[in-house]
Amino acid sequence: MAVTVFASVYIGSFEISLKIFEISQKNKMKEIDYVRAHLDLGKDAYQNGSIGYELVDNLCEILVEFKTIMDGYKVDSYEAYASAIMRDISNEAFVLDQIQLRTGFVIKVISNSEHRFISYKSVAARKEFEEMIQTSAAVIDIGGASIQITLFKNGELITTQHMEVGTVRLRSILYKPGMSENSYQKQLEEYLNKKFEVLRALYFENGVDYIIFMNDHGLELINRIEKDNKLDNLIKGDKFTRYLEKIQKKSLSDMIRELNISDERDTLMVPSLMLFKTLVLNLNASKVWIPGVDINDGIAFDYAERNCFVKAAHDFRADIISAAKYMSAHYNSHSPHIEALKVLSMKIFDTIRKQNGLTERDKLLLEVSVILHDCGKFVSLVNSAQCAYEIIMASEIIGLTHLEREIVALTILYNSTQLDLYEDLSDRIDYDSYLKVAKLSAILRVANALDQSHKQKFKNVKTSLKGRELIITLEAFEDISLEKALFENKTAYFENVFSIKPVLKQKKIYDV
Amino acid sequence: MDKIDFTNPEYYENRELSWIKFDQRVLEEARDKNIPLLERVKFLSIVSSNLDEFFMVRVASLKDMVHANYKKKDIAGMTAQEQLVAINNDTRDMVDTQYSTYTRSIIPLLNNEGIYVIDSHEMLSYEQGEFVDRYFMESVYPVLTPMAVDASRPFPLIRNKTLNIAALLANKQNKKETVFATVQVPGVLPRLVQIPSVNNAKNFILLEQIIERNIGKLFSNYKVLCAYPYRIMRNADLTIDEEEASDLLKEIQNKLKMRQWGEVIRLEVEAGIDAKLLRFLKSEFKVADADVFEIPGPIDLTVLMKLYGIDGYDHLRYVQPVPQKVPEIEPGEDIFEAIRKSDIFLHHPYQTFDPVVDFIRQASKDPDVLAIKQTLYRVSGNSPIISSLAQAAENGKQVTVLVELKARFDEEHNIVWAKKLEQAGCHVIYGLVGLKTHSKIALVVRKEEDGIRRYVHLGTGNYNDSTAKLYTDCGIFTCKESIGEDATAVFNMLSGYSEPLSWNELILAPYWLRDKFLYLIKREIKHVKAGKEGRIIAKMNSLCDPGIIAALYEASAAGVKIDLIVRGICCLKVGIPGVSENISVRSIVGNFLEHSRIFYFENGGNEDVYMGSADWMPRNLDRRVEIIFPVLEDSLKEKAIHILDVELKDNVKARVLESDGNYVRIDKRGKSLINSQRVFVEEAELAIPKSDDGQKGRIFVPAEPL
Repeated sequence: MAVTVFASVYIGSFEISLKIFEISQKNKMKEIDYVRAHLDLGKDAYQNGSIGYELVDNLCEILVEFKTIMDGYKVDSYEAYASAIMRDISNEAFVLDQIQLRTGFVIKVISNSEHRFISYKSVAARKEFEEMIQTSAAVIDIGGASIQITLFKNGELITTQHMEVGTVRLRSILYKPGMSENSYQKQLEEYLNKKFEVLRALYFENGVDYIIFMNDHGLELINRIEKDNKLDNLIKGDKFTRYLEKIQKKSLSDMIRELNISDERDTLMVPSLMLFKTLVLNLNASKVWIPGVDINDGIAFDYAERNCFVKAAHDFRADIISAAKYMSAHYNSHSPHIEALKVLSMKIFDTIRKQNGLTERDKLLLEVSVILHDCGKFVSLVNSAQCAYEIIMASEIIGLTHLEREIVALTILYNSTQLDLYEDLSDRIDYDSYLKVAKLSAILRVANALDQSHKQKFKNVKTSLKGRELIITLEAFEDISLEKALFENKTAYFENVFSIKPVLKQKKIYDV
Repeated sequence: MDKIDFTNPEYYENRELSWIKFDQRVLEEARDKNIPLLERVKFLSIVSSNLDEFFMVRVASLKDMVHANYKKKDIAGMTAQEQLVAINNDTRDMVDTQYSTYTRSIIPLLNNEGIYVIDSHEMLSYEQGEFVDRYFMESVYPVLTPMAVDASRPFPLIRNKTLNIAALLANKQNKKETVFATVQVPGVLPRLVQIPSVNNAKNFILLEQIIERNIGKLFSNYKVLCAYPYRIMRNADLTIDEEEASDLLKEIQNKLKMRQWGEVIRLEVEAGIDAKLLRFLKSEFKVADADVFEIPGPIDLTVLMKLYGIDGYDHLRYVQPVPQKVPEIEPGEDIFEAIRKSDIFLHHPYQTFDPVVDFIRQASKDPDVLAIKQTLYRVSGNSPIISSLAQAAENGKQVTVLVELKARFDEEHNIVWAKKLEQAGCHVIYGLVGLKTHSKIALVVRKEEDGIRRYVHLGTGNYNDSTAKLYTDCGIFTCKESIGEDATAVFNMLSGYSEPLSWNELILAPYWLRDKFLYLIKREIKHVKAGKEGRIIAKMNSLCDPGIIAALYEASAAGVKIDLIVRGICCLKVGIPGVSENISVRSIVGNFLEHSRIFYFENGGNEDVYMGSADWMPRNLDRRVEIIFPVLEDSLKEKAIHILDVELKDNVKARVLESDGNYVRIDKRGKSLINSQRVFVEEAELAIPKSDDGQKGRIFVPAEPL
């Protein structure tokens, strides 16, 4: 039986980590080794905006050692990711270049969305997860730079919120040398309570059943509170906060001793524990689950899934659609019009898909675009397209990469405005994505034209391709002259993009 | 009832005085008429070598405390000065007994057997004298460096633990002038020299006597007024500023050179030494009267170890049992396959240490092995383990070795082979800053068909194939996943990476071990309170950790029955009303050195057995990297519990601690004699399945000519 030995390397803001996995069809993923080296990249990055040469040296040394360990296990394949820390510095390109030259590692810098999604995936793949989200659950990923909260209700993803209150950032904002531990904690608590106030008002008025934490210090806490840990890292919310309150009264060194933590990350202990406490209290969670997975597991899971070693039980596509729907509802834009539009646009998409090299994933992006295309009207009726773009770019849709979100937002923007030249967009998207935006927005525009009155006048829509014409046959009882008139206007763009002319045909029906 | 303060100093014994009691128990073995004569000679020698180490390390550090004006009291409430006084008294008593045993009992018995040790050259016959003088001129004289002391020649450096001869000389021209001179008895020559004898007797003379007899030849212009042997002991505790040391290896090399300059803490001279000579020595070495020991016999009885090893006279020694093979492991066959079948328990020296050596050797050659990782503390001179590790590195395996440079008195030795390993391509870690790595663990990572499998050996003793024949130790082989994962984490931690988020099975000092032991002791108290039985059996080398002792007292007071088998230091006192009535302490001093650590907790019937490298001493629990591992399989647990059971029944070599602080032999009347070490030897022999006589040792018989 083939066993693939896979290594996942992650460069975080205070730690470089390596996990070795054995991945096989039979045993799925098995962790073999886990090595963590402490390196405070965050300090340089957040204070100076770049990583100095000494840290680059250290980083390379650690990576070379990692390489030896990987060689020791005869690793077949590896993936090395870096997140926020690399994105946030000005000398990213040079650091990455040095790493590749000196260690041979090709580091993939992932966006926040990808990072979160990868970690989230490995949690969502666990069977307990599916049960927890059936009532209500908040998945909270606590990172060095920011935290991300994803809320589920009745099995559906409601929203994902991103907040810049990661542990390293909190420390650099609030901690000053010479500060008393007490006042540091007080300030943290006040700051965080303020930050979470709105969040609570928007989504957590009725509390939440489960909080699922993804963070480093969590497991140590659980082991301390639940000595026998019968429930596999699940603990009651009030018990959790009571313990945190007790331990926060102790001095830092006692805290560290109590939790059996090596002194390396200790400066992040205080913000971590405070985040735990304020989150559980503000979100009013009845239970806390700390599954103890991290980004390294996520990277491996992602790899295993892509290479068909494992299949996730959770439907991540449904997450995306669900998140889009709730977002659309949030901006009061959900309507029968969107449902009609979805049917129309999907039909058109399917008809022309093959010839135009569009994929399943593009269909998903189109669907999301359809769902969200009206959300800008919540802000402004005149500038609705631009507003929709901004709203989408400012929101987190877990499962979509940053680039995909950009594609969705631009598709909606060009649904009603003139497509810009690629040169004007090249800082945001690559050329392939530009073409994708053009194609998706063209489809959206045609479909939109068909339901211009927002009255869903059509019963049966059939689409077919005849030569260079896209025949759209409608069955309608009502008068569709408005649609017909507008249709002529909107098809030019479509023709331009696809070299296909959409033709509208009506089949009058008279059933009463 | 008032709550008892279990930390009351009255409930504790001073650790140094307890140690002296241990050495006295060794001395008692030398006085035991039931023991073969040369074995008694050996014990007499061990008493001396133990005492030397004790002085160099313990007494030295107490002296340091006195110099530093350190006033804090130990757990028994004694200041350093008080301890020194008490130690001095007890040691003098012990040394007296030791020498009277030597001269009054051992020497006459040796003479009966035809073995003579001539300890003064005046007793030599004419022929012997001739022989000795020729030996002196041919072999001894060329390596001697006599040194006189006068205005232009300062007092030379006298090395730690070396035997020297001091002499007072008178100038032949100017009779009034006396000069002091000293010469080192060369360590490169055997101290025990066999000389011709009549009949079948064996005659020996000590090297210093040969030199004394010929000392006139060294100082030809002087008249030798008198000459006496002497020996000094220096403070040998290395204090290394590890935080400052950029290279631990170099720093230790430097300190080793410094050790020979340490403060003199003991001066031994032959009894009856010339008063003027003694005065001179005292002032040069700056020693007080209290630290001068006048020895009524040969100085430094460690020489007796050589006498123990003389040819012939096997009837005066124990027949050394041959370590038996481990039933589960057939020599020469795949050891990994054997481990895959089930965990394997090893009990040395009753069972051979070969499987452990073989484990590394096979791993070094096995094409499927990816990596070998091991900790090394003390290894033998020509260690097969070291050469296998080097071989493995040359075969392209990843070899990580943690070499503890701070292993006391082995530092120099360890530096040499650490360098050798590095040259072979091993990744050598020189211990951790501030912590001694005392744990004994070896990990082999093997890539097998269904993935990576880890094989682990965990032990209570060092990876030293020589001492494994003399020390009783236990070990296990396992390829259990949980332990394998932990073993990897141990080496990651030792390599400087972050510690794992949690451990599956292993318990490590300095962070987790103390809490775990306290938890296990408290758990027994809980069981007692819940109406069940509470029972602890623990076997170790030394018990002197105040925290653990207090917990044991608390457990005893609560009704937990505690049996301790402690070979050496034990600061716990038994039989204190309300405190330690439920505790028994016994010490086994036998043919083999008791060295294993086994901890048994009844846990309300759900027995837990742990073994490992740590004693219940503060240094083991707080300042060392130690590993304690659970014995998981029931069949192995039984074996460990059996060892404890037999040792608790021992009534030959065991001595029981009484409430007055003395160790007494067990009243054997009406009981069958049980010598636990003997029992284990027999059991190990029985455990080997006897093959059919016809099959055994097939040999081809050459046909003899008719």
